[in-house]
Amino acid sequence: MDSTGPMGQVLSSRVAPLLENFLQGSVLDTSKDVLIHRLRGLCDNAENQPEIFHDHEIVFIMQGNPNQQPMYFHVRHSLIHPESWHVRYLGVAEVGDKNKLTLIRHCVDAGASSNVVDFLNEMGFKIDYEFIAKGYFFHKGRMKVTVSKLYKILQPGSTDQVEPLSQSHLVELSVVAPRVQEQIGEDMKNFAEQLKPLVLLEKIDHKRLQQSLESR
Amino acid sequence: MQKEEKQLEQSLEGLIQRVQELKNAIQMFLFKLEHEYETLNWPSVLDNFALLSGQLNSLGRLLKNDKVPALRNHVFLPLVLSPDRDAELEKLTERRVMMFNHAVVPDYLRTKPEPEVDEKISQLTSKAGTVVQETAQKQFNNLNKITSNLLDIINSAKEEWESESNQKSSQPVTFSSTDTNNLVSTILFGKSIKVARKPDSSNTQPQGMPNPQQQQKVQSATVSKAPSAIKTQIKAASSSHPYQRP
Repeated sequence: MDSTGPMGQVLSSRVAPLLENFLQGSVLDTSKDVLIHRLRGLCDNAENQPEIFHDHEIVFIMQGNPNQQPMYFHVRHSLIHPESWHVRYLGVAEVGDKNKLTLIRHCVDAGASSNVVDFLNEMGFKIDYEFIAKGYFFHKGRMKVTVSKLYKILQPGSTDQVEPLSQSHLVELSVVAPRVQEQIGEDMKNFAEQLKPLVLLEKIDHKRLQQSLESR
Repeated sequence: MQKEEKQLEQSLEGLIQRVQELKNAIQMFLFKLEHEYETLNWPSVLDNFALLSGQLNSLGRLLKNDKVPALRNHVFLPLVLSPDRDAELEKLTERRVMMFNHAVVPDYLRTKPEPEVDEKISQLTSKAGTVVQETAQKQFNNLNKITSNLLDIINSAKEEWESESNQKSSQPVTFSSTDTNNLVSTILFGKSIKVARKPDSSNTQPQGMPNPQQQQKVQSATVSKAPSAIKTQIKAASSSHPYQRP
């Protein structure tokens, strides 16, 4: 993990470092309902309607030493429950070798109050980008599944004027745990198998994506 | 003439070989049924049936082959019957037929149906002869009608079934890897939603000047007080002021 990063010291000293195991995939909008149906059957609380969310995510960036990776904070603001704000730090995801069944990254989650944006601004963070995520949330034991549609914000500051990004919903399967446990990877792999061939949940190589972005 | 004999010999050899294979398969199947009936499952029984039917098919194909002379034109004639035990025959038939005598020959070389069957056939033929021509014609027509109807139904069912299984085999596309990559790039790096800010300060900063002053400057955003030596870079940083929304 990024033990040399700006979060490294914090993680190793005071805050208990949590690890997020995750897999990512997507489903075309036309097949989304089939997936929701299947997830309802596979996950807990099958008898209830799936939980929905409608969030505004703002990503803040702080570039410390230019030689280091910049630090990102993801602030999520629920548009359904406007009083709830959430800050999340995410480390760089490790692809690892083939034995690792999932991607693994450091994460720190914290609830926040509505002035978190001002606070981060005061700290010297800058807004890097923002988007709207709207979708469904499921859980099965400690596994969490989100199916979300991403929207581009057309007018900065206005969360009503949005435009969908791509014809697909993003699907993420994740488990947050205090340390690396192989059983988690096994469980997630098995779960992902059950969603095939509807959705292919896999380890997406983030470094490669970033490189392809930068090369353009 | 010689050529024909050669052909006959060859085809007989082929026949014997095929029949031998068939016999072996039946033997194995019987063995399985008798000894492994407790562990035998239905799919493997079906496999055995499929093997037998395949071998029967290939035997039939061999008989229909142009190179095989019409066997019905050949006469099989027992020359000698003997009540004594024949060791050679015993070996050939795996101790099934001990001797070639008057008792077994009528059974093994029979070309007509069994007497009871024969009798039944003649009964039916005579009964058919008594039916009036017109009634027979009517019955013919009815039967034809029914058969053609049945054929239609079966064919349409078959077509339906085939098109269904075709649809199933060609699974519809439900996801796109490109979309996955794009969406992940979006949430992680702001792909296609980041406003095109050319001076994306952090990345465009000259890498070769990691002086502490510069670092402080970016963090505290007191850009205007920087020395003139790095003026170009100041401009870049100032246009992406931390308090500004994109």
